[in-house]
Amino acid sequence: MVEQAATRVLTCIQCGKCTGSCPESGRTPFNVRMLVRKKQFQTAVDEALPWYCTSCGACTIRCPRDVKPSEVIIELRSKLVEDGDIPVALQKALENTFVQKNPWGRSRNKRADWLEKLDFEVPHVSETESKRLLFVCCIQAYDPRCMVIPVNVARLFKAGGLEFGVLGEEEACCGNEIRRIGEAGLFEELEEENKAAFEEYGVKEIVALSPHCMNALKKEYGDTGIKVVHYTELLAPLVEEGAIRLPGSFGKKVIYHDPCFLGKQNGVFDEPRSILSAVPGLTLLEFSRSREVSLCCEGGGGRMFFEVEATYQRNAEVRVLDAVDKGAEVIATACPFCVMTLEDPATEKGLAVKELSEILTEVL
Amino acid sequence: MNILVFTKRVAATQEEELRITGEGQAVDLSKVPFKVNDWDNYSVEEAVRIVDKAGGSVTAISIGDAESDEVLRRAIAMGAKDGFLVETGEALHDPFTRGELIRGFIDKEKVPFDIILTGVQSEDDQFGAVGGVLAGLMGLPYASMVIGIDAVETDHVVIRRELEGGLQEKVKVATPCVLSIQSGINEPRYVSIMGIRKASKVERKVFKADGYEKGSPKIELVKWVYPEKKGGATMLDGELADVCGQLLGILKEKGVYQ
Amino acid sequence: MSYTLIVAEVRRGVFEERNLDSLGLGALLGAQSVLLVPDGAYQVPDKLVDVVLKVKAAEEAYLNPMNMGKILEAVFAARGKPDHVLFTQSSSGTESAAYAAGLFGMPVITDVSGYDRDAGVFLKSYYSDKVFGQFKAAGAPAVLTVRSGSFREFAAEKAAAAAAEAIEGAAAVEARTFVEYVEEEKTDIDITKAEFLLSVGRGIGNQDEVAGYEELAGALKAVLSGSRPVIDKMWLPKARQVGTSGKTVKPKVYLAMGISGAFQHIAGMKDSDCIIAVNKDPGAPIFQYAHYGIIGDIHKVRDKLKELAKG
Repeated sequence: MVEQAATRVLTCIQCGKCTGSCPESGRTPFNVRMLVRKKQFQTAVDEALPWYCTSCGACTIRCPRDVKPSEVIIELRSKLVEDGDIPVALQKALENTFVQKNPWGRSRNKRADWLEKLDFEVPHVSETESKRLLFVCCIQAYDPRCMVIPVNVARLFKAGGLEFGVLGEEEACCGNEIRRIGEAGLFEELEEENKAAFEEYGVKEIVALSPHCMNALKKEYGDTGIKVVHYTELLAPLVEEGAIRLPGSFGKKVIYHDPCFLGKQNGVFDEPRSILSAVPGLTLLEFSRSREVSLCCEGGGGRMFFEVEATYQRNAEVRVLDAVDKGAEVIATACPFCVMTLEDPATEKGLAVKELSEILTEVL
Repeated sequence: MNILVFTKRVAATQEEELRITGEGQAVDLSKVPFKVNDWDNYSVEEAVRIVDKAGGSVTAISIGDAESDEVLRRAIAMGAKDGFLVETGEALHDPFTRGELIRGFIDKEKVPFDIILTGVQSEDDQFGAVGGVLAGLMGLPYASMVIGIDAVETDHVVIRRELEGGLQEKVKVATPCVLSIQSGINEPRYVSIMGIRKASKVERKVFKADGYEKGSPKIELVKWVYPEKKGGATMLDGELADVCGQLLGILKEKGVYQ
Repeated sequence: MSYTLIVAEVRRGVFEERNLDSLGLGALLGAQSVLLVPDGAYQVPDKLVDVVLKVKAAEEAYLNPMNMGKILEAVFAARGKPDHVLFTQSSSGTESAAYAAGLFGMPVITDVSGYDRDAGVFLKSYYSDKVFGQFKAAGAPAVLTVRSGSFREFAAEKAAAAAAEAIEGAAAVEARTFVEYVEEEKTDIDITKAEFLLSVGRGIGNQDEVAGYEELAGALKAVLSGSRPVIDKMWLPKARQVGTSGKTVKPKVYLAMGISGAFQHIAGMKDSDCIIAVNKDPGAPIFQYAHYGIIGDIHKVRDKLKELAKG
């Protein structure tokens, strides 16, 4: 059981909007309103419960009293982290991040291996004019499925004449998931390490590939004076203005899935859609739940690294069934975690899952 | 109950392709991160659990360079009371030399103990011999591959040793004794960065290794070599029955199927 | 006369097969080979050694490192000191070897998997076999523990059966005593402890096929595990999931059927001693990590294996 201390939660009026918007409520034992309630009364909670949260942020957005229930969950988790009492899979992810600076524990020396797949050189950010940094981060640097994302984006930037550089092996995990798992100390270490590199090389702009990294770099690294964007925000005008020419055709019905950290948490809804709309031959479809109310794929908040106890129909599957319903052939998204969670059920139903940059590269 | 537990800082090489330098003189670890030896993590956790129940205190000891202080802070964050660093810049490959150094340190500093815990082996050299050598040198009862500690009494412990094929052996060992702890004996707690920062406030004592008696090494590392190369998967081809026969053959060779 | 003392590992009346590797290294070392065994009806391969030396000791006492110290003392007194003392690389072999080294001040090299006779060096694994150290013992007798599967082919049959010798054992020590054997509880299957895992993935197609793989696992005495899609569909219980979001396993053999090898899965099994992959797709990433591969229909392979295993 986790002991609790009351904080901002005292303003909570128990309206239940948080639970109403939560992608886990009803299907798992997780009830965010009840956890906030227990925090108000400082009663102990079952320590399995906080780990269900996917950090999608819906509760915090919907809360009329600014209680920030998703932050309450992080506080609960922090206590468990300090007590050392956390699921083994998460423990491994944290220990791996401590040693190798990525949750999978892959060698830091291999963090820039994806560059070998390019037929041109990408400079170190310190050697660029623009001091524009492509922040690759862990899953895109190591996961063979997601390694194509930095490769594609690099090609697109080159096609659009956009100068950029990388940090290579000096880059550390952004820490977005680490903070949400409740390991504040480790998040601080990662933040300090990355910020020191940004400062040393005079980075002026950061382009994040994953919305999760963008979120941390933009909102949780304090005031760095560095502009942080998601890559779709840079590509959208280039595609619209024709600076990146798309001579090919993608004659498929494509449905766009809003990643929580890109859409509802950071307000980037239009750029991915405008990019997709500019792809010749592509028919863009919308989910029943899209934009602000997009259904979370359950890949965030540490859920990429461990399995919760309860078995239930995954949101990813719900999402795929809706896509089938809408007549989609391809699910497009702009987040590596969404790609990973959606792909299994989609493949089963004969749908392809593509990260935006994959579609663009096909028509480049 | 005073427990001495040994903890070592080792290179995390699992994900690395290691390079041997020169004519086999050294293994290049310059770009490899370091971590606590997995077996020692279990040992420290077990030590803390013993004193939680039986009372007493845990002293974590590390033999290594100044950087090894990191694993002492970690042990303190887990619940050790003291951290001693026996500082040496030398790579001590010979488990006998390590055993002698530890005996020399314990004798000279008159470190009191009831139980000495070591990990079964360390991830780097995988000798798995320091605990046994130390027990032999000190004339103490010894048990290795300890996968469970069932009872801690004033003059003995009852432990379980892991044998092969899912079998265990229950053994009674008189104290003071040396026990080598097998991984999986417990689930070590997570040590948070905040926890380590707090532990940094506890002073660790540093002792210079050259102040203790040890003989010359009894084994000599002549050179490093690479293992024979295995290139990718060997594909089994042929008719279905033939392929399946080959597969069963491999299972037999590996000793998992009779 | 110089000799090699080979300390046999016995357990519950059985002469362990891995002793053959000690006999093989004994043959390579070239000196007279003397096999130490406790009293009892063990099936000793007495044509593979020069001398079988029986010691009057109960098996449990013999396997106790402290008693082994006394026994070695008696052997050294009776026959003089050997050049090498070989133990098996095993739970009890390594335990006694290290203890004896400390007790008698002998050099010790563990997990020996190779021997270069000309250079007189022993090969010992470092960093999980990523590199090996060539070691020389500075003095005799040297204690070695021998890696299973490394030397057995060198154990050569001799013209005559071994000479029989016997020594008295010593009184059993009281500082460490055997209580009982405990079989590991088998109520809840722990896939991380299994030596042989048969792991199935999405490629099995549908739930009805699971039973067939359970039968195969039964026939091969393997434990059945699965990748995430199989667990997500609840075809196998969660405790059977291999991968970063499930369990990390290191069995002796990992037989993957219908698993393409998603990164999350690979991270949970890549350190297995031997990985065998069966998949219809020759481009499946799992083949990059496998030691052996079969490209083909997994159901056909399953049925044929079952047939052969039964026959």
